[in-house]
Amino acid sequence: MEWEIPSLKELEHFIWRCTACGTCKVAYDFGPPATCQPICPAGEEFGFEGNMSSKGKIAFARGILDGTLEWDDDFLEAIYKCTVCAGCQSQCQLDHKPYIPEIIEAMRRKAVEDGAGPLPLHKNLTQSLKSYNNPYQGPRRLRTDWMRQFKKEGQPIKNLNKEPAEYLYYVGCTGAFNQQARSVPVATAKIFQNLGLDFGCLGESEICCGSTAMRVGDAGEFKRVAGENLALFKKMKEERGVKTIVTSCAGCYRAIKKDYSLSSDYAQIMDGLEVIHTADLLNRMWKEGKLKFSGDLNMKVTYHDPCHTGRHLNKFQIDKEGKELWPGAYLGMSEEECLYDQPRELLQALPGVELVEMERIRGNSYCCGGGGGVMTGFGEWATKNAGKRISEGMATGADNMVSICPFCHYNLNSGAKQIGSSMKLMDLTELVVQVLEDKG
Amino acid sequence: MGTATAKKLDPVLEELVSIVGAGNASDAKHIRYAYSYDLSFVQPKLPDYVAMATTVEQIQEILRMANRRKIPVVPYTGGTNIGGLTIPERGGILLDLKRMNRIIDIDPLDGVAVIEPGVSHAQLASELTKLGLRFGWPVGPPSASVSSCAISHGIGGLNARYGLQSQEITSMEVVLPTGELVRVGSCAIQENAWHSTLPMPKLDGLFKGWLGSTGVVTKLGINVHPAPPLLKIFTVSCDNVADMYSYMLNLSNYEICDDITAVSWWLSQVPIPYPYKPKPDEAAEWNSYATTYSWTEKERDAREEIWQKVVSDEQKKGTSIQITHYPEEALRGRTQLPSQVVGSTKNYCKQGGAGISWPGTFTPAKKWAPVYTRWRETLIKHNLSPSVRMSMYRGVHYGMLRAMIPFNKQSAEETENARQAIVECLRVDLDEGGIPYKPPVDFAKEINARAHPGYLMLLKRVKEFLDPNDIMNPGKLGI
Repeated sequence: MEWEIPSLKELEHFIWRCTACGTCKVAYDFGPPATCQPICPAGEEFGFEGNMSSKGKIAFARGILDGTLEWDDDFLEAIYKCTVCAGCQSQCQLDHKPYIPEIIEAMRRKAVEDGAGPLPLHKNLTQSLKSYNNPYQGPRRLRTDWMRQFKKEGQPIKNLNKEPAEYLYYVGCTGAFNQQARSVPVATAKIFQNLGLDFGCLGESEICCGSTAMRVGDAGEFKRVAGENLALFKKMKEERGVKTIVTSCAGCYRAIKKDYSLSSDYAQIMDGLEVIHTADLLNRMWKEGKLKFSGDLNMKVTYHDPCHTGRHLNKFQIDKEGKELWPGAYLGMSEEECLYDQPRELLQALPGVELVEMERIRGNSYCCGGGGGVMTGFGEWATKNAGKRISEGMATGADNMVSICPFCHYNLNSGAKQIGSSMKLMDLTELVVQVLEDKG
Repeated sequence: MGTATAKKLDPVLEELVSIVGAGNASDAKHIRYAYSYDLSFVQPKLPDYVAMATTVEQIQEILRMANRRKIPVVPYTGGTNIGGLTIPERGGILLDLKRMNRIIDIDPLDGVAVIEPGVSHAQLASELTKLGLRFGWPVGPPSASVSSCAISHGIGGLNARYGLQSQEITSMEVVLPTGELVRVGSCAIQENAWHSTLPMPKLDGLFKGWLGSTGVVTKLGINVHPAPPLLKIFTVSCDNVADMYSYMLNLSNYEICDDITAVSWWLSQVPIPYPYKPKPDEAAEWNSYATTYSWTEKERDAREEIWQKVVSDEQKKGTSIQITHYPEEALRGRTQLPSQVVGSTKNYCKQGGAGISWPGTFTPAKKWAPVYTRWRETLIKHNLSPSVRMSMYRGVHYGMLRAMIPFNKQSAEETENARQAIVECLRVDLDEGGIPYKPPVDFAKEINARAHPGYLMLLKRVKEFLDPNDIMNPGKLGI
C-alpha cells in the first residue's frame, strides 16, 4: 500500500503563495451586520506573529525551507502550539488555502523525520500507539468496558469478529477509554438498538484510527494503524457483510474519510463501504421516519461544531492542470460534506430542545482547543481554550452545549469545570437517547 | 534562548521581560523571523527582539530603556502595509502592539471613536455597525490596524466625502521616543474630550506620515459617521484614461459621492493578471465605480439624476464614457468593506504569488493621464500588468494614483524586476508632482533627492528634536 502524504518540500510552492496579509487572523464577515471574532486559539494565547494563524505557521515553514530556522526546543514547541483547527484556513483566499493544515502537519512530519519531534508528551502518545494500539495506554481488554452494561441487560453488542452485521460501529479510542466520554458509545449503541440497526463492533480488536499520530507528525505510525484498519475494513466488507462504517468520533471520521484517502488502495477497499458519522446517520433515519421521539427535554442548548466534522471536510476546487486559471489555483470551496446542518436539524427535532447559536459557528467555529496534539502536549492551555468556548456558549443563555465529538466532549467539560461553569458538554446522542420513542 | 523562561537571559531581553512579563518578550529566532518580511519587495531583515506591550506604561518603559541603550524600536500592528514599513532597517526591538486592541469609546453624539493601535478594521467595523455608524474602510485585509492606516495617510471608502483617514483624526495620545507621554488635540486640554485637533496648533502633524519614526500612538480619536441605508453605485467605463479623468473631475465637482474611483482593466480583474497579459480588444480599458449613500429614495434619485447629467455631459464632449456593469465580484470586494476579497489578498496577489508592492502616490488629477500612460509603458516593458487605480479626494482635484504590482516572491529575479519597475514608475510620478505615501526606503531616497533643502533640514530638525538618539524605526525616512 502506497501513501501520498506530502513532505514540506513538496508543499513549498504553496507555502510561497502566502502573502502574509493576515486575513487569516480573524473570523470576519461583512454581513451586514459585520462581525469579527478571534479565530486562532494559538494566536490568542501566545500572540507573537509566528504563533498567529496560518500567517505565522507559514513563516515557520518558510524559515525551515530556506534554512534560517533550525530545530531547538522552543521552535519545536512553537510548531506544536497549534490546534490545527483550520479556523485560519476558513478566512484565507489564496492558492495555499486548501493546504494549510497539511503544511502545518508537514512541518511536524519533518520534525519527526529529523529526529526532533514530536514533543516528549506526544512521544508517550505514539509509544502508546505502538504498544497498545491506542493513544491512552489502555490495555485492549478495557476497550470493551463500556459494553458490559449491554451484556448485563441481555442486549449484548454483536462482535463482528464472530458475527456478520450491516453496520460496523467504529467506536474510537476516546469513547472507549476516556471515562467521561464513554457515555457517547453507550448512548450511541442504545439508540442503534432502539432503531433495530444490524450493527456490531470490533471489540478488543479495534485499533486506533491513527488520527492522533497524523496530527503530531508521526506518519509512520499513522500508516501502520491506517493500513491495518483498511485491511480490517476490507475483511469486514468481504467476510462480514459490512456495508457502512459508522463512527461517533469526529477525529476518527475525519481520519477515515480524509487521511485514509491518501492511500493508493483506498478507492478499491472502500468501494461499497459508506463511512458515516452518527449524527448524519441519525438525521437520515429521523428524516426517513425511523427515528422517533417522545418526552420533553426542556433544555436550552447551544451547538459546538467540531473542527473535524466541520471545516476539515471542506472540499476545495483546485485548478490542477491550469485549465481555468493556472496550475494549482484555488478556485472555490464546497461545504457539502461538512456536518453543519445535520446535528442542528436533529437537535431542533428533539422535543423540548431550544437551540441558540453562539457567534462563532460552522466554518468560523472556535476550536475547543484540544486538537492537533494540544490536549496531550499542552494540557493546561487546552483546558483554558475550552473554558473560553464554554464562556461563549454561556453567553447565549443556553443550559448546555452539544457536540458530536468525544474529544471536544472531554476537553470542553474540563474547560467548564475549570471556569466553574455549570454548563455541560453533551454529545448529541446523549440527548437523543433520553427521548427515544419506546418501542416496547 | 527564546522566550522568558530561558536560563541566561540577554540583558536587553531580561529588561524587556521585566517590563512586559514572561511570554511577551522573545529573542528566539523563529519568533523574530515571522516579523522579518511582509508582502513587499523589501529585503527581509530580522529584529533582535520582539516585545508585546499591553499598556501605555509598558511602552514608555520600553522606549526609555531603548533610549538608554540606543536600541532601535519598530512599532508594529497588523504588518499589512506593502512598503516594508515594519521591516527593521537596523535590528532592535520589534514592538508588537496587537494586544492593545481596546475600543475605548464610541460616542455616536460626538461622532468620535477612541481606539488603541491594535484595533483592526474588522473589529471596529463590527462595533460601528451595531450603532449604525461607519468609517472609511480601505481595501486592506480586515486584520489591518485602523490607527496605523490613519497615521500613515491611508485611504478609505469615504475619501471623496470626508478625506483621507488622517483627516479623520481628532486627537492623539503618543509616547515619544524618549518615553514621555504626550497628547495632541482636544484631549490634551480635557482628558475626555477627543473631538478635534483644532483650533490649537496641529501638533498631530508630528506623528502623521512619519512612518512610525516619531513616536508610538497609543490612543487615537477618529471621526465616525452615521451610515445612510441606501447605497447606489454609479458604474461607467471608457476607452482611455483621459476620458476617465474628465468624468471623475466632473462628477467630483458635485460632491455627491463617498468614493469616486476608477481602475484599469487589469486591476478590475480578480486576480490581477501576472505576468502581464493584454487586455481583450472588446474590453474597456477603464472602469469606474462611485458610491453614494442616501437617507431617502428621493435623495438617492436626486443624486442619480446628477450622475446621469454628468455622464450625458461627458458623452456630449465626445468622450468614450459609457454606463456599464462593473465585474460583480470586484464590485462587491470594493464596496463591501472591509473585504477579504480585495486588499492585499485575493485580487491583488493571488496570481503573482506572495508579493505585492506599489507606486502609491498622491498626484494632481490633471497629471493622472500622462503618468498612467508612462506607467503603462514601463510596466508592460517589465511584463507586469498596469493595474492602476485613481481615486478623487474630498474637495480637491488631486487624489490617489497607484499601481498594484503582484509578483512571484519565491523568485529573487521576479521580485527585483517588480522593484525596478515600481521605482521607475515612482520617478515618473515624482517628476510630475506626485508624492508617494507609505513609502519604502527606495522611495524615500527618490523623494529626498528632489526635496527642497529647507524641507529636509526641517524634517531632520524635528526628527532630532523628538528622537535625539534616532531609535524610532530608524532609516525609513532616508535622511
